[in-house]
Amino acid sequence: MNRPATAPDTHDTDIARTRLTSALAKTWKTPPGFWGALTTVDHKIIGRRYIFTAFVFLALGGVLAALMRLQLAQPEARLIGPDRYNQIFTMHGANMMFLFAVPVMEAVAVYLVPLMVGTRNIAFPRLNAFSYWIYLAGGALLWTAFALDMGPDVGWFAYVPLSGPQYGAGKRADIWAQMITFTELSALAIAVELVVTIFKQRAPGMTLDRIPVFVWAMLVTSFLVIMAMPAVMIASTGLILDRLVGTHFYNPAEGGDVLLWQHLFWFFGHPEVYIIFLPAAGMVSTMIEPFARRPAFGYLGLVMALIATGILAFGLWVHHMFVAGLPRLGDSFFTASSMAIAVPAGIQMFCWLATLWDGRPVFKTPLLFIMGFIVTFVIGGLTGVMVASVPFDTQVHDTYFVVAHFHYVLIGGAVFPLLGAVHYWFPKLTGRMMSETLGRWSFWLIIVGFNATFFPMHILGLEGMPRRIYTYQPDLPWHGLNVFVSLSSIVLTIGFLLFFINVFRSARFGEVAPDNPWDAPTLEWATTSPPPSYNFPRIPVVGSLHPLWDDRDTLPVADGLRTDRRELIVTTLASAGPQAREASPRNSIWPLLAAVATTIMLIWSIFSPWAVVWGSIPIAVALIGWFWPKGTPEDES
Amino acid sequence: MAGVLIGLAAALAGCQREERQLRLDPPVADALDKIALMPNRIGGAPPEVYFKLGKPYEANAYNLSQGKRLYTWFGCKSCHGDGQGGSGPAFLDGWWYYGPELVSIFASIRDGRPHGMPMFGDKMTTDQIWQLAGYVQTIGSYEGQTAAPSRNDEKQARPAENRAPAKLLFDEGPSPVHLDQGPTP
Repeated sequence: MNRPATAPDTHDTDIARTRLTSALAKTWKTPPGFWGALTTVDHKIIGRRYIFTAFVFLALGGVLAALMRLQLAQPEARLIGPDRYNQIFTMHGANMMFLFAVPVMEAVAVYLVPLMVGTRNIAFPRLNAFSYWIYLAGGALLWTAFALDMGPDVGWFAYVPLSGPQYGAGKRADIWAQMITFTELSALAIAVELVVTIFKQRAPGMTLDRIPVFVWAMLVTSFLVIMAMPAVMIASTGLILDRLVGTHFYNPAEGGDVLLWQHLFWFFGHPEVYIIFLPAAGMVSTMIEPFARRPAFGYLGLVMALIATGILAFGLWVHHMFVAGLPRLGDSFFTASSMAIAVPAGIQMFCWLATLWDGRPVFKTPLLFIMGFIVTFVIGGLTGVMVASVPFDTQVHDTYFVVAHFHYVLIGGAVFPLLGAVHYWFPKLTGRMMSETLGRWSFWLIIVGFNATFFPMHILGLEGMPRRIYTYQPDLPWHGLNVFVSLSSIVLTIGFLLFFINVFRSARFGEVAPDNPWDAPTLEWATTSPPPSYNFPRIPVVGSLHPLWDDRDTLPVADGLRTDRRELIVTTLASAGPQAREASPRNSIWPLLAAVATTIMLIWSIFSPWAVVWGSIPIAVALIGWFWPKGTPEDES
Repeated sequence: MAGVLIGLAAALAGCQREERQLRLDPPVADALDKIALMPNRIGGAPPEVYFKLGKPYEANAYNLSQGKRLYTWFGCKSCHGDGQGGSGPAFLDGWWYYGPELVSIFASIRDGRPHGMPMFGDKMTTDQIWQLAGYVQTIGSYEGQTAAPSRNDEKQARPAENRAPAKLLFDEGPSPVHLDQGPTP
């Protein structure tokens, strides 16, 4: 390292560990108090916030689901009227997809990826703060509207013309469309941060074949986000323009196209499923190692399967539109591609089975959830192959069969791994272990309650019960199964309640966790639980895929970073050779102000197109403040 | 947080406009029919219950959009066009023979008017007549309203109601404006 000879030595090369940590803590800390909370750019604080908020939305969406089950428990029920019911199922879907499933996966990544690749903060940390505020505002918009009888009522995919200007009265569909803009904006921001973090901030020596599978999964997911989300942003912007300004994107009489909506939406909407599933698959591949007590079988196969899924994800959106009236060739092509995606999913499945088979499994709660995931997701995958076939899909389209299918793949495929991941990484988030007893209870209640709730829906669907009906007549043959489903959903609800109780109890009274309670091989366990603001006192140097299993006592580290300002190591893309020391931004209030200005503009634009003109002025001011030159050299080296 | 505040502000203004009353109670519908008209059948007062309900037919998005649908369904277009008029009078020219009051519009639709306006009282429910009256009133409104319906999925003869107040659309046409008309819009 060449440094000016006269300057006082502020590098971490030779100083003692205590002096090093106190200097780093001073440089990287988030000041306590309200102001500190508003200005922080620490990926761990923002990640925790993100995860917490997403789980609040999960709980709210769960309440809506419980309300629907209450209403459907008996024929001709009068608990909820048709108008409110329309809002409730729309809110449930939109909330779970846009405010819970996608954000929670990205939130976990915001917390974990910088730790797993061994760096001090996520790339673009201020953008990260901005992303959280935007996400929060989008969620608040949706739920405030719902509380005021203004919630969207057009289904979570808001097909035109139902959501269009002629049939979607009031501002309900606009609320939906603008909520999309909020969540897509925040998701795109995180995707960009993750790609840069994973490509350029990996610890020295972490070559491409030494990246943990969860990090690979988030890399593929981020690319999916970057390529899929613009489609839906265009679609929802077109919808708002049609409704407010009177454009004709979706008006066939003036040269627009109704099917354009479905194509744009599902070009995003199908990859969205993998945006939710791939992180979960990555979590499974990563969590299975410490519990199977061996490296995951077929690292290359797992990573290639993730990438293959990511590519195939863009080639099968039309299977959502089989009954829309498309050319026969299109039907055949998309049937084939939909079935093809079962191949990479199968490869991963067999890799996990092989890992467990050859390992010595330790059945702690996270592994239980992985087992639940494997069973449930395979069932959901099988019905997926069934509905990929056009003749079958034509029969069950818009019935409860489809409802059962996508709850099996989404809850089985994403929520179970996520719950396992919460148990697994909880010590790293809070410094305390979750209760194993409560964890087992909640696992068994959830898995039994889930299957008893959703399996009968397959049969209800085959018996012809359509989706989205607020009630049914007593002479239809659906009553018995609906009562059973509603009763089972109580078991599922109790399971989730136990999980939440476990989280809150453990966060306060749980057993204090050591640095690496599971004897796991990845870098996030090399630092304390929870990690200090600077993550690692010295940046680790990685020599294999399982750095903590190579030599359990020592971990090689790199030094030469400054301690008096925020600095991290930038490495080369493929071989992760050290390239430069890069400054990392300090805390700032501007991301919050920019988010507030953006929020005002976006909500105002539901009511007047002039909002885009006048509302962009405060945004410009906030961005100028955000990017105001600091007057300090970017990098001295 | 900002979202919550703005949401609250927007919603306080908007909570009424988004309510949906899908079916009126029969006694309420009966009471809504009892308007008090002046002897010349122009102007008057809506029934008490109309105010009790919070004037639901003027600024409620759902009722207005239902009114727009009824405007097509009951053939209003065949005489009044999209508001420009035809064999019937226009709604855009700022000159309404029976005034712009909602009660007058209600009476025109329910009881008909001389020289061609048929009565719809035996074809539509009271609720529907009120919805249609509310919509017709927005066609002639001089100010764009946020609760006004948007365009239909069909060929466009004029900008959507929520985009263009009547004064932008005002077209004197081939014949001069009415002699008694004061300033044009």
